[in-house]
Amino acid sequence: MSSIRKTIITNCEKNFLIKNLSEWTRLDGRAFNEFRNVEIEFGKDWGCCKVSLGKTMVISQVSCELQQPKSSRPNEGVLNINLELNPMAEPSFEAGRQSDLSSQLNRLLEKCIKDSKAVDLESLCVKVNEKAWAFRVDINVLNHEGNILDCASIAALSSLAHFRRPDVTCDGEEYKIHNVKQRDPIPTVIHHYPVCITYAIVKEGEYILADPTLLEEGVAEAFLTIGLNAYKELCGLHLGGNAHLTTKAILETSNKAAKRAVDLVQLIKEAVEIDTNERLTMKSLGFHNTLDKQISDVHVDELGKYLDHWTMDKIKRNPKKNQKVTTPMEETESTEEESEEDKSMDVSQEKVESITNLGDGTAKLDISTAQHEWITIESDEESEKEDDVIIVEPKVETLSIDSNSEEEQVLVLNPVQRSAAKKKKKKKKKNIIS
Amino acid sequence: MSELSPADFYLPGEIIRNLKSKDREVIIGPGLCRNESDTKSLIASQAGYLCFRAPNTYWLEGRRNRYIPKKADLVLGIVTKKSSDNLKVDIGSAESASLSMLAFEGATKKVKPDVNVGDVIYAKVINAHKEMEPELVCIDQYYKAGKLGVLSNEGFVINLKQKLIQQMLNPENPLLRTLGRKFPYEIVIGVNGKVWMRANQCKDVLTLCRAFQIAEYQKETDIIGICRQFK
Repeated sequence: MSSIRKTIITNCEKNFLIKNLSEWTRLDGRAFNEFRNVEIEFGKDWGCCKVSLGKTMVISQVSCELQQPKSSRPNEGVLNINLELNPMAEPSFEAGRQSDLSSQLNRLLEKCIKDSKAVDLESLCVKVNEKAWAFRVDINVLNHEGNILDCASIAALSSLAHFRRPDVTCDGEEYKIHNVKQRDPIPTVIHHYPVCITYAIVKEGEYILADPTLLEEGVAEAFLTIGLNAYKELCGLHLGGNAHLTTKAILETSNKAAKRAVDLVQLIKEAVEIDTNERLTMKSLGFHNTLDKQISDVHVDELGKYLDHWTMDKIKRNPKKNQKVTTPMEETESTEEESEEDKSMDVSQEKVESITNLGDGTAKLDISTAQHEWITIESDEESEKEDDVIIVEPKVETLSIDSNSEEEQVLVLNPVQRSAAKKKKKKKKKNIIS
Repeated sequence: MSELSPADFYLPGEIIRNLKSKDREVIIGPGLCRNESDTKSLIASQAGYLCFRAPNTYWLEGRRNRYIPKKADLVLGIVTKKSSDNLKVDIGSAESASLSMLAFEGATKKVKPDVNVGDVIYAKVINAHKEMEPELVCIDQYYKAGKLGVLSNEGFVINLKQKLIQQMLNPENPLLRTLGRKFPYEIVIGVNGKVWMRANQCKDVLTLCRAFQIAEYQKETDIIGICRQFK
């Protein structure tokens, strides 16, 4: 992703970002493994949704049509995922041309969602070798503020989970697609929700940033994208760019990503459920509802933040004034100069205050807590893993009595039957053993 | 300045009538152009609120990000391409501007300034025509650099809305002074919406960024009111 960016990042932005990172601060005040807010909204149609991740915004629509299934897989439907980058998202994107970035994003999305068999394609078949549903997920990027992939994968999954296809009946030769009013549309069967989680790797793996913004993407040397589902199974792993990463770092980040995946999947499921319930109550639905809300939200929120930023001093000053009122009236006039001095003192105090106050949005405090979190998570994860390992271990031992080298071979061969996630875990176990 | 009301909102192409003017003269600012067919009215060329300042100045104020180059504007640009005697500078307009290597103070054919791709440059627009790429210089008419030139790589650059930029460039606006009372900083404001700033500590720069980003969405009167509380 790094090489495709055409808009140049200034040297001073680069320096400033890296300087901040060395002080364990990110420009938007997040901790290193903190993600931006995800918002999922649904449109009027089935399978239409808008997902925003911070300021990155993506709209997704699922559509379906009946067609002949592929001859290689006669009893399966087809799923196509198509992500498009418009100049609307960023001026450097070109319309209607497949750039390296868009084909890379498309491939990663397909790898994560399609190749992990998240959607039950067999249920999309109407008649073997004759008719099957072809699903198409169209994803459009509305605003690019970094990390399109995560946003797009959430959008694709939530619109797939939200989508309902019309019922179809067949009398001999003719297929009849029923209107939504005649028969209730059918929801899609989704086995599991594999979401993509991207980390930016800055300064040769020294800093690993979750959910990078546009500027961070520009400065990063490599990107680690991990596809995971709620069961912490690995559905795709991609390391793009050039950075020296140790296997340990990759494993650690994928552990952190696993926790995020659980949260995200829950968020998607809840959003879909709330929307389908609202649909039953015949509420007026669509983006127009959220539009009004959003505009007002932005103002109130923004103003609140603004006041927060500035009134720290005000709140502090008021009690002082009150104190002065309570003191005898004679003093008030004589202490005017003093009060001014006080004020200047106030300012100096406020400086400290504001810094610390800003700090809780940004700096070391967050990080230190986050680090603690990381450590605890890891320990949790490891204990879980050990459980897994214990199950696997006897197998390995029984199979390979001869030597260590063979044990390794078995270890590699075994996972073919098992999920990719376990492969990872086993490899980690190997590390632990060695 | 008068309060903005929905009645004063205009879309591009709308005709603006009922202009108050002294001596039948009207000075028009950004976003407005003359109506050739009816000389008593104006045409809006962008979306925004119509603002008026006595005695006879009119302009449109909108939330736009795109910069349209204008002659004699002081802008901030980012060097995107470097060739032997020319620089391509991104100033946020539709087309990137060109800056001659000789347009720096003391530069000759042999002694060239030290500019690299990715540097930030504070320059003056010397030529801005619809059909041509804008041209920049880093010297004034006496061949002196003044404050123009390459900015240090220590700082940070952000993009802000034109509205806030205009407010900040107004010397009566207290926002920058109020911030300056908190900590010392250096700031370069380009009319094109790019702002470069530098402070002693990273967190001060971040404070500035956040303050500006929030102030973007506030009314000017609100900003002045809040700044006044800290005098």
